[in-house]
Amino acid sequence: MSTTNGARILEARNISKSFEAVRALRDVSLELHAGEVIGLVGDNGAGKSTLVKILSGTIRPDSGQLVVDGAERNFDSANHARKAGIETVFQDLSLIYSLDITQNVFLNRELFRPGFLGKLLWTDNRRMRNEVVAGFSKLGLTLPQPETKVAALSGGQRQAVAIARAVQWGSHIVLLDEPNAALGVKQTEIVLSFIERLKQHQVGVIFISHNMEYVFRVSDRIIVLRLGRKVFDGAKTEVTQRELVSHITGAR
Amino acid sequence: MNLLNAISLRMSRHRRTVGWAQRNGLFFALVFLILFFSVFSEYFLTWPNIQVILLTVSVIGLMAVPGAMLILAGYVDLSVGSVAALASIVFGQVVAAAHLPWELGFALGLAAGLAWGLFSGIIISYLGLSAIVVTLGGLAGARGIAELIGRGITLSGFGSAFDAIGGSSFLDLPVPVWILAAAFLIGGLVWYVMPYGRHLTAIGADANAARSLGINTRRIPLILYTASGGAAAVGGLIMTSQLDASTLTIGAGMELSVLTAILVGGVSFVGGRGSLFGVAVGVLFIGVLQNGLILMRINPFISDTAIGAALVFAAALDVLYRRLDRIPVTDPDTRVGAEAPAQPEPQLSSMSQPRG
Repeated sequence: MSTTNGARILEARNISKSFEAVRALRDVSLELHAGEVIGLVGDNGAGKSTLVKILSGTIRPDSGQLVVDGAERNFDSANHARKAGIETVFQDLSLIYSLDITQNVFLNRELFRPGFLGKLLWTDNRRMRNEVVAGFSKLGLTLPQPETKVAALSGGQRQAVAIARAVQWGSHIVLLDEPNAALGVKQTEIVLSFIERLKQHQVGVIFISHNMEYVFRVSDRIIVLRLGRKVFDGAKTEVTQRELVSHITGAR
Repeated sequence: MNLLNAISLRMSRHRRTVGWAQRNGLFFALVFLILFFSVFSEYFLTWPNIQVILLTVSVIGLMAVPGAMLILAGYVDLSVGSVAALASIVFGQVVAAAHLPWELGFALGLAAGLAWGLFSGIIISYLGLSAIVVTLGGLAGARGIAELIGRGITLSGFGSAFDAIGGSSFLDLPVPVWILAAAFLIGGLVWYVMPYGRHLTAIGADANAARSLGINTRRIPLILYTASGGAAAVGGLIMTSQLDASTLTIGAGMELSVLTAILVGGVSFVGGRGSLFGVAVGVLFIGVLQNGLILMRINPFISDTAIGAALVFAAALDVLYRRLDRIPVTDPDTRVGAEAPAQPEPQLSSMSQPRG
């Protein structure tokens, strides 16, 4: 898998962030290309979450620039980042279990009937259902019927719905915060194979995980943070799992 | 694989049965109740008695429409009965004491209810106070203010035009039943046709998720509380018209009947699940049960107990349904990469081994 043939879609330059006396990030830079999966690893407190929150617009960096699709951006909020095409799928997924798959994918972005009825906020359920079926099949994701309530889905299926929702809404940069933290092997498999699938749709993914096996499985490139600094950034073919652990812990 | 498919098929069949029972169980309980009472009383299934049943539930049903939406979103309005009394007293003061036209009295009574609902809504959704506490305060406070305004005096003699609201029929159905039907029609449009049913469900199920998706989790309950105050006021004015009296006892204890109808109708008391169709059946269920037991000359205390039992049964079903909702769909349904054409299939069965 080549890593740099896609366009550069996200660039962070010299990002620094301090919380009071704690320097959470120091001069961290990274580049994400279309169709590339970056595995972001590091020990607890290494700055992974801070970096993801800055990329997703939740917090603002003290210094440094964010460049999305060639344009420099200053995000005020997660909504702002979402409009620029960056979607973050947090562990809680923001899915409503008592609603079905279609209703979740289109929640607060419902499609309305054309014409006068649409002006009366008359929802077009058939069109939404069809778009969900078409969108999922384009992404190569086969789920139970779109009328299935999310409560009845497994953990992996829910992850897949949350990610697919992000991609369906035009996000081409997806940040995944420990998507497999609470999942079993089989459920994780659904999520990992779906992430691999996203590459073919020119989506760029930043994938945070503590599990080295999963990181090696799906990432094209791996970035290691330690104590707020970037200590490794390279193709996964350039590094062994053991070397990676040394980078994470700082052991030489 | 065949075994897995068989299990998955059986589960999905089972799921369909479960979903069907969940959607239609109460409806068939109602049908059973109607058949039961028609066997025991030949008067039960007559048109005059059907009119009586619909008329007795019309005010409760009217209040249950915004009430159910509030509960779906995780809120509650306990003040509806007292707000009905407040509207009735305001009306009586304007019409019988100040001798102004009844239309003005109606408008001011309605305005009092809307204002009360708006006020509660602001306190609850913008100041974040507990909905139960604030509307419990409203339960005591609205009737207290009504007593202050009316000094506890019952007024009557509002004229035939006003009395026609509660006492006349249109196309062989009492006017309050038409008002009830209009409330459910508007409620149904808001709930099922417009996107608000699912937005309310989202707010009730996970307010943080709803907010992060951009749903306005403050304005929506505010509007609902205002609507609930308005519905309570209209209910109070209907009862005032039926009695031809503006009196303090109007709507006493009515919040409990409204809540019972909503909960029997299958709206989850913790929010996040429910249907307006169920609420309609729940309202009819309460009316049929009360009416049938009266026709069978059962002691009214037992009738109250029967409604209480129906409520506890509904609460038990709520717990059961929440569990049944979680019956997982088996995994063979989920595949990644199965239907995308002209793309290499990713290897699903083997984990690729990291180098090293």
